[in-house]
Amino acid sequence: MATVEERVKAVTAQVLKLTPDEIKLEDSFTADLGAESVQSIELVAMFEEEFGIEMDEDAALSVETVGKAIEFIAEVCKEQGVDVEQ
Amino acid sequence: MRLILLDSPKEIRGNFYPIALSHPLWELRCGFTSLGEKLIDKVGANDVAYFVADYMADSYRAKVQQPVNDSSILDGDDMLVVDPRVKAENFDVAAKGPSEVGLDEQGSLLYARITKDDLTRLPTDEIGRFITEAKEKLPNVRSALPTWRYIWDLILANAEQLTADFTAVGQHGIEGTVEQPNAIRGSKKDVYIAPGAMVHPMVVIDAEQGPVYIDQDAEIQPFTRIEGPCYIGKKAILLGTKCREGNSIGPFCRVGGELEESIIQGYSNKYHDGFLGHAYVGEWVNLGALTTNSDLKNDYSTVSVMLDGRRAIDTGLVKVGSLIGDHVKTSIGTLLNTGSYVGPMALIMGTGKPLPKFIPAFAWFIEGVVTKGFGKGKLYETAKMAMGRRDCQWTETEQSMWDAVFDMTAPMRNQAIKKGRRAMLTR
Repeated sequence: MATVEERVKAVTAQVLKLTPDEIKLEDSFTADLGAESVQSIELVAMFEEEFGIEMDEDAALSVETVGKAIEFIAEVCKEQGVDVEQ
Repeated sequence: MRLILLDSPKEIRGNFYPIALSHPLWELRCGFTSLGEKLIDKVGANDVAYFVADYMADSYRAKVQQPVNDSSILDGDDMLVVDPRVKAENFDVAAKGPSEVGLDEQGSLLYARITKDDLTRLPTDEIGRFITEAKEKLPNVRSALPTWRYIWDLILANAEQLTADFTAVGQHGIEGTVEQPNAIRGSKKDVYIAPGAMVHPMVVIDAEQGPVYIDQDAEIQPFTRIEGPCYIGKKAILLGTKCREGNSIGPFCRVGGELEESIIQGYSNKYHDGFLGHAYVGEWVNLGALTTNSDLKNDYSTVSVMLDGRRAIDTGLVKVGSLIGDHVKTSIGTLLNTGSYVGPMALIMGTGKPLPKFIPAFAWFIEGVVTKGFGKGKLYETAKMAMGRRDCQWTETEQSMWDAVFDMTAPMRNQAIKKGRRAMLTR
């Protein structure tokens, strides 16, 4: 199974029309990867679908970087009893 | 004699969604006034109390001075309990008389006249038990009183009601300011411009087909044409509006573009161009420029509406526009399909295509699908800001009511979000 990082990068790449290799952990979704507000909403939706989790919108949308998103999603998976590869 | 307006059961109130999700039925408008005002006038009551759904009790209590969900008022004087779906104009039950409970064909209460003496036989601690025992212990009659069945009944009846209300009010003439040049077509007896109202130059008021009532402090800006019958509420502003026949515009609205046979509850903006016809719009709505609704299908067949997101109801009518709940915001260029339902608090970002006919409450409609968007917190922030701009307060009790509406409407929203996710995944 792919790791959380690989899966987050794959979803981000798909939504923002990038390749996973272009995405770094320290990248800001908006400033570096060019996500507009509508795409942020789509990212949250696609992360929920990918991991089978429910995220609080306010908390999820306040995450700024790819690295923080990986940490946040891993934590939510743990809270909601979803097994993931670290 | 005390008049008690008792809101209809949930299954009936559902026929008046999306507006009735956040208002008791008697607050809905038809003609100049609300259904409640008409019932109170008809009965001639000066002692009124209300019973609303529990989730809106605190919020409604803050809006009105009369008792709300206060069981203590079930004791004392003779009383008349009325369900607000009863049409006031046909309500012919005498205020005084022996106790009787009027039921519709399904056995639902339409009214109950209860004498002071009979009150002692009924439990007064809870309205539900009070009504149940009144039905059991007091004489029942099968009532044929006409009722409002669906929200579009109000739209359909609006033009006729406007004319009736104008006659009932009995006012005509110009008490406000009318700047020249100006034109009034038809009889001046069919026009009333209230004190404080201001009609700018280059306005046409056409009362040939029906009366026009412009209420206090309303402002009619140049190049507006108002066709009667029409009611323009207090402090409303019309901005070069093509105001066709049969409109009721509630207080503090700002309306531009083209409007036909529609009801706007109050405090809503349709500032720019765009057509709205045979629509019912709630409070605190903002319709972006060029927001337009269809009210007639291309094949002239009857319009169906989904009030619950599951079941399409054939209205039997050829013209039905949009039903738009409180606090809805639409983007520029939003296109609403014939007989659309937009749940309260929904935020619409138009795509250039007609929207789905059912948009659930609190939906963020983005890129052609319903999403969770930025959540209800952001919608509350926007609502608070919109209300603040008109010196109105977003209160904790109001937020609690909306939290309840959010929970009540979650199943349909979640279903729409799932559908949206599937669409996103296949892009």
